[in-house]
Amino acid sequence: MTMVSRLWCQKAWQNLAFAKVLGKEPKTFSTLVQLKTDEATDDNNDSQAQTNDELIKSPSLGNYRFVYSEFLPDPNPLYRNSIREKLERMDMLNRRSVLSIPEFYVGSILAVTYSDPHAVGKINKFVGICILREGCGLRSSFLLRNVVNGEGIEVRYDLYDPAIQNIDCLRLEKRLDDELLYLRDAPLEYSTFPFDMEIEAKILESVPVNDIKIPLNPLPWSQRWEHHNLKGVKEIVVNERRQKKAAALAKPWEKYDLMKTYRETIPEEEQNEIFSDVYTKLNELEIQKNILKRKYMLQRQNSSKTRTS
Amino acid sequence: MTSILKTFNGYQLFSKHLKQSLDMIAVPVRGRQNPPPRKRHPEWLPKPIRVRYNEDLTPENKEFLSEIASFNKGLHEMPKSPLNTELVQPTQAWTQGSKRTGLIGKKIGVYPLWLKNGKKVLTTLIQIIDNEVIKYIPPEEFNPVKHSKHLHPKVKNGCLVLGAVNIDPQLITKEYYGIFNSAGVTPKKSLMRFVVTPNAALQSGTPLCAAHFKPGEFIDIRGKTIDRGFQGVMKRWGFKGMPASHGVTKTHRRPGNIGSGGAKARVMPGTKLPGHMGNRWRILKGVKILRINTKYNVIWVLAQNVPGEVNTMCYLYDTILPTKKNTSPHFPTYPPNDINALPEELYADDVHPFTEPNIEYQSEQES
Repeated sequence: MTMVSRLWCQKAWQNLAFAKVLGKEPKTFSTLVQLKTDEATDDNNDSQAQTNDELIKSPSLGNYRFVYSEFLPDPNPLYRNSIREKLERMDMLNRRSVLSIPEFYVGSILAVTYSDPHAVGKINKFVGICILREGCGLRSSFLLRNVVNGEGIEVRYDLYDPAIQNIDCLRLEKRLDDELLYLRDAPLEYSTFPFDMEIEAKILESVPVNDIKIPLNPLPWSQRWEHHNLKGVKEIVVNERRQKKAAALAKPWEKYDLMKTYRETIPEEEQNEIFSDVYTKLNELEIQKNILKRKYMLQRQNSSKTRTS
Repeated sequence: MTSILKTFNGYQLFSKHLKQSLDMIAVPVRGRQNPPPRKRHPEWLPKPIRVRYNEDLTPENKEFLSEIASFNKGLHEMPKSPLNTELVQPTQAWTQGSKRTGLIGKKIGVYPLWLKNGKKVLTTLIQIIDNEVIKYIPPEEFNPVKHSKHLHPKVKNGCLVLGAVNIDPQLITKEYYGIFNSAGVTPKKSLMRFVVTPNAALQSGTPLCAAHFKPGEFIDIRGKTIDRGFQGVMKRWGFKGMPASHGVTKTHRRPGNIGSGGAKARVMPGTKLPGHMGNRWRILKGVKILRINTKYNVIWVLAQNVPGEVNTMCYLYDTILPTKKNTSPHFPTYPPNDINALPEELYADDVHPFTEPNIEYQSEQES
C-alpha cells in the first residue's frame, strides 16, 4: 500500500508544475503534497492494491513455487528463451497427465517403480529417502538413498523419465537442510527404510518439518561438513585447525547479497506468468490425485476395520 | 660512333636523373615500421549523435506503422505476402543430384527427450522464425566468390536468398528496405544465400516452415561457435598441461616442447599454440531430426553441440554425407498452403512422445 501511494505521489509531483515553479523549499512542499495525496488517493487506490495483493498472495500460486519448483527455468540469462520454456512446460504437463507425480521434498520418503531392462522381471522398486533434488524442466532429477544388505545405496532418477512406472510419496515431510548428502557420513540407521513401507495416509494443511538432528560418523568424511552450515546435524567435532579454516572461509554476508539472490532466482512477476500458464492443467491433475488419495485412504480404513473385527 | 657513345656512357652523367631500373633491389621492410595512428575522436569536440532520418510522419501514421511492426514481430503462423496471391508450388519429384534450399533457424535451447528403448538423449531446439524467400538468382547471374584452392563443379547452380526474423521497418535504411521491396515481404533481420539447382527455385515471397524437413531426416547445421577469446593450449586444444607439483615451477598450463631442432630449425606451420578460440563458422554434419512442432515451427535435433550460443542464428541444410543423404524430401519445399493439414507434433519413429504411456520392457520369454 505504501509503495502504491509513493508511486502515486511521484506522479502527482511531476504533474504539479506550479510546485516546481515555487520550488524554493522543495522539501517542505513535497511533504505537504504527499500528505494531501495520501488522503485523497487512499480510497481510489484501495481496490487496485487489493487486486495486486490477491494476484501475488493467492494461496495456490504462491505455493506452486515450492510444490512445482522444476517448472521454474534456469535463471541464467544465457540459457533463457520463452518459446523453449513454453514447449518444455507443455512436455512436462503431458508427462504429468500420464504419470501422476506426487508432491515431495528433500527429506521425504519415496517409492519408485522403474522399468529396468537388466532387472529380473524387468521391473524394479526402490524405496529411499530423497536426499537431493536437482535441475529444472525436463532435466530435473532426484536422488534416493537407502541401505541394502548393510550397504548404503543411492539411485538417481529423472523425474520425467518415461520408464518410471509409479512414484509414491510414502512419508511427506521436510528436513532442516536443502540437501541431505551428509547422510553418507552418518550412521546407517539414519538412512535405513523398510522396502515394504506403506503410505502414511494423512491429509495435512502444511508439510511438516522433521527437526531431527543427526550425529555424524568420526572422520574421515566425504566432504568438509564444517564448511556447510548444516542445521540437521548434532554437533560437528573437528580439530582447531579445521575450525579456524572453516571460520575463515565462512561467508556470513552472502545472505544479505541482494544481487546474488536476484541472479539465482526468477522474479515474482515471471513466476506468476509461468504458473498462470500451467495453472488450469495442474489444478485438474491435482483434483484427480486428491480423489485417488481419498479412495486409497477409505480402502485402508475399511481393511483395518475388517482386520480388527 | 659507338666508341664515342661508350665513353659518354662511361661517365654516367645522367644516371642520377634517370628512372630507377627494374633490376635494382628494393630492401624489404620487415613488419610495419610506422603503423598508421588509430583514429580517435578529439576530446575537445562534442561526440556526434546519430539521429535517424526524420520522415515527417503524422503521429497517427507513426502509430499505425509501429502497430504493424509489432503485429509482424510476434507472428508464429505462416506469414502471407500481399503481393503473391498464388504461392502454390508444383510439388515435383526429387531427382538424383538436385539440391533444394535450406532454412535459417535460431538455436533456442537444449533439453532431453527419451527414445522408445528408454534411452535419454539430449536434443537441441531450433526455431524457424518468419522464413521467406527474398530472391532467386538464376545460374547465369549467380557468380559467387571462388577460392582457388577448392575444386569447382562444372554444373552451375543458382541460389535462393532467404530472410528470417521480421524487424520494424522504421528502424532500417531505405537501401536495406529496397532488398525486400521486390519480394513484397516485411524486412528481415538476417539474410542467407542457399545454393539450389534450377528445378528447386521458389517464387520470391514463398514462406518456409519447419515442415520443410521431415522427422528422421539428417541435416547439416552451420553456425558461429561461441567466442571464447584468447585461450591457452589446454582449453583450446585439450593439451594435458604439466604436473601441479613434484618440483614443477611456472609451467603448469604451458604447451611444453613445440618441436624443431635437427634439419628444420623452426616452428612447423599449423602447430597447436595458444590463440583466439571460437567465433568461427563451423558445420555440424549428419544430425538427425527427432521431432517437429508445426505450430511454433521448432525442430528438435539429436545433438547437444550445435555451434553457437543459445538465441543465435544457425543455418540448416540437407546433409552432404553420402550414407545419410535424403532421397525423398518435400521437393522444392513443403507446400505452404497445406500447413494446416499437418498435425501439431511430428515425431521420428524411435522417439517416445510424452503423451504416450510409460515405457515397459517385456521379458524375453513372454515375447
